[in-house]
Amino acid sequence: MSIETVAQNLVFGLFVGSMYGVAAVGLSLVFGVLKVLNVAHGELLMIGGYVTFWLFAVLRIDPFLSMLVTVPALFLLGVVLDRIIFRHVTRLTGEAKIKNSLLVSFGLSLILQNVVIQLFRADERSVQTSYSGTGLTAFGIVLPYTRLLILVIALVAILSLHTFLQRTYTGKAIRATAEDWEAAALAGISIQSVYLLTFGLGAALAGIAGTLVSVSYSITPSIGLAWTLRALVVIVLAGTGRILGAFPVGLFLGVAEALSATFIGPAYRELVGLVIFLFVLLLRPQGLFGRT
Amino acid sequence: MSQAFEQVAPPVTATRSGGWLRPALVVVLAALLVLVPQLVKQGDVLNLCFLVLLYISLGQSWNILAGFAGQTSLGHAAFFGIGALTTRTLWTNGGPFIPALFLGALAATVFALIIGAPTFRLRGAYFAIGTLGMAEALRITISQTSPLVSTLPIDQIAGYDLAARYYLALALALATVGVAALLLRSRLSLGMLAVREDEEAAQATGVNPLKHKLIAFTISSFFAGLAGGVFAFYHVSYYPEAAFSPHWTFDAVLISFVGGLGTIGGPVIGAIFYVLVRDRLAVTLVDIHQIIFGILFIIVVLVFPGGLVEAWERLRKAGRFSRRGR
Amino acid sequence: MLEVRELAAAYGDLRVLWDISLEVHTGEIVVLIGPNGSGKTTFLRTVAGLHRPLSGDIRLEQTPIHTLPAHQIVERGIILVPEGRRLFGGMSVLENLELGAFTARARVKRHEMLKRVLDLFPILSERLHQRAATLSGGQQQMVAIGRALMGLPRLLMLDEPSLGLAPLVVQNIFEVVRDIGREGVTVLLVEQNARVALQLADRAYIVEQGRIVDQGTGAHLLADQHVRRAYLGYAPRAGTTTDRSASLRE
Repeated sequence: MSIETVAQNLVFGLFVGSMYGVAAVGLSLVFGVLKVLNVAHGELLMIGGYVTFWLFAVLRIDPFLSMLVTVPALFLLGVVLDRIIFRHVTRLTGEAKIKNSLLVSFGLSLILQNVVIQLFRADERSVQTSYSGTGLTAFGIVLPYTRLLILVIALVAILSLHTFLQRTYTGKAIRATAEDWEAAALAGISIQSVYLLTFGLGAALAGIAGTLVSVSYSITPSIGLAWTLRALVVIVLAGTGRILGAFPVGLFLGVAEALSATFIGPAYRELVGLVIFLFVLLLRPQGLFGRT
Repeated sequence: MSQAFEQVAPPVTATRSGGWLRPALVVVLAALLVLVPQLVKQGDVLNLCFLVLLYISLGQSWNILAGFAGQTSLGHAAFFGIGALTTRTLWTNGGPFIPALFLGALAATVFALIIGAPTFRLRGAYFAIGTLGMAEALRITISQTSPLVSTLPIDQIAGYDLAARYYLALALALATVGVAALLLRSRLSLGMLAVREDEEAAQATGVNPLKHKLIAFTISSFFAGLAGGVFAFYHVSYYPEAAFSPHWTFDAVLISFVGGLGTIGGPVIGAIFYVLVRDRLAVTLVDIHQIIFGILFIIVVLVFPGGLVEAWERLRKAGRFSRRGR
Repeated sequence: MLEVRELAAAYGDLRVLWDISLEVHTGEIVVLIGPNGSGKTTFLRTVAGLHRPLSGDIRLEQTPIHTLPAHQIVERGIILVPEGRRLFGGMSVLENLELGAFTARARVKRHEMLKRVLDLFPILSERLHQRAATLSGGQQQMVAIGRALMGLPRLLMLDEPSLGLAPLVVQNIFEVVRDIGREGVTVLLVEQNARVALQLADRAYIVEQGRIVDQGTGAHLLADQHVRRAYLGYAPRAGTTTDRSASLRE
């Protein structure tokens, strides 16, 4: 096994990890602010992928360009879902809230998955652009343009979110709500509005990840669960207190999977994350990278 | 005020009204059920009955852990799958079926006991996603170690008797419901219900939460394993991985919730409803039953925790009222 | 300015407030004192909109506000400094203060207000970019009060501001409250430390077991026998009635 092969796999692990990271940050944002576990997050990602596919297949719009439509569309979907469904869950508190949100979003995931099946059937779809196969080569490593764009978009999305949360009044209001919603309400922040906005953002991030996934893999309506699990794995590894911190952990997971695929074999790639996840859940609940 | 999980859903104990009516009905019902293969000649109807019975066991076994003991496990498919895999392997390799069935259930139970103690340290949603992760990890492993389709030997296919499958499923459904009913009448159920409502409070009153959770887990996984074995008996050929698919868990969850979590009748009604709706709608629109059940499920969780059982009870009471009013 | 009539509140089945009626006039400093668990915090939280009352009403300048969500009550100028400070610990002192001026009304004036708050609490100027969780108790209380002031309150409510703080710090805080009061902000204060509170107060109410059992001016209550015995640590003198509270409690 040459060092180039290892490096190649590592780089691809990074590309994949950036998608894990974006998906995880979306879920983590919702969990951190609303204290709600949305296991339909993967389905939102899947819908993002299908919107991209549809815009590409029917209107011939480049998948990266169509994000200008996909992302707002998913944001809107998130807002609607918060308004009609999750609003009833956020009224609860503590453990009951998390547990009920898990159940409700489970039901939602079934609905979303099957609505997509009704619209698109269960066949595999993929987005192959004219430049899909091309790329650069550097130091003997192949860097496809699509993958590079994915990494760039992921980074831009995360950095934008970071800037939004750190520099704008609304972003700070969101962070404040995550820390202590009562104190935030006492400062004049409308908690319902924060929840609505945050859920929309979470869905938008899922949409971004979905677009990236549709370009990298073929998609089917059933990919939701696997991606929700991956996002959960990343969140648990990062420690549930971190929102943006989930992104580097996503990269870590991508690289860890790639390394295991390189040295143990590709078959058990998905298993690596799950095993680490179970280990962390049981033995180190604050996450691999969380503060105690 | 929260819904499904803070509601004290009382167990459906035998109502003292109509003392002889209920057991008589049960006997009549049991007799009819036993006679079904004689009365029904079409294969697809018998098949449907089989599925209803299988799903009753699937739902009821999950209900014991989640409804009685309050532990929302999302790893139910793991026990179903282990039961199926063990039974199938032992049976297709020449062993007699019934022992293979019980060994399958035993394997599932052993697995439950091994992972039970560590996973029960997790609470609520973490327990749910932990068990989900565990079941998925198992499924992925099986998909790699046993990727080839499992087919019955020729002589078994030739002599395939659906009635036998039906009777087995009937026996299992009766056993699962019966055990659940017995459990609910036992002292154990009080401990489990206490743990379900408030684990800390239960501990403070001397109830050992871990013991009760493990007991519920054992019974639940045993019957799930049996159900898996019945599934393995039923299918001519299938991919071993299919028995570990999360949709077995999700179906169990849907059935129990929509039917009425924590009640005996809930999974029964839920299973009948689910299989029938799926069957009727599959003719016209594939998988739309999932959308319907997804919506029903959300409604139950948010608004109507008693499910169909509660709806039925309310209708009965309303009926009684209007009659009395005359 | 603020009128509360027959307010009743509960947590689930546990009734906390029975029949609270009180008034706060513009420009006053009104104090609520009473033992732990008497419902004072619940009362403030209900006025602030964090808790729905069972019955009764709360009016601000004749307009009912008891059905409004918390953030709208803040917009109308009633701001609570909650018990235990409740700062946004992971955020900086500056960010905490800025968030106090979140409402549109306050946001336009936030630069001026920030200067005013730093004038009141000069020690915070050095700590503007520190994470709020790393401050001492007294400094956190300053940030909490500062945050509330940033919202341009017409009625400032404080819940046990002296809790857990050293006496010198407490003194400082109360001086600030007095200054705030002098500048025209109406103050409603809940305090454990009855002596200091009553010295500060224009008027005060005594709350016991969810009911108002006495009221009067600060000076009047400071001299009252029951108050002195129950809350100011005076022993009963020979020949005085010792169990006045019993007759008040039915």
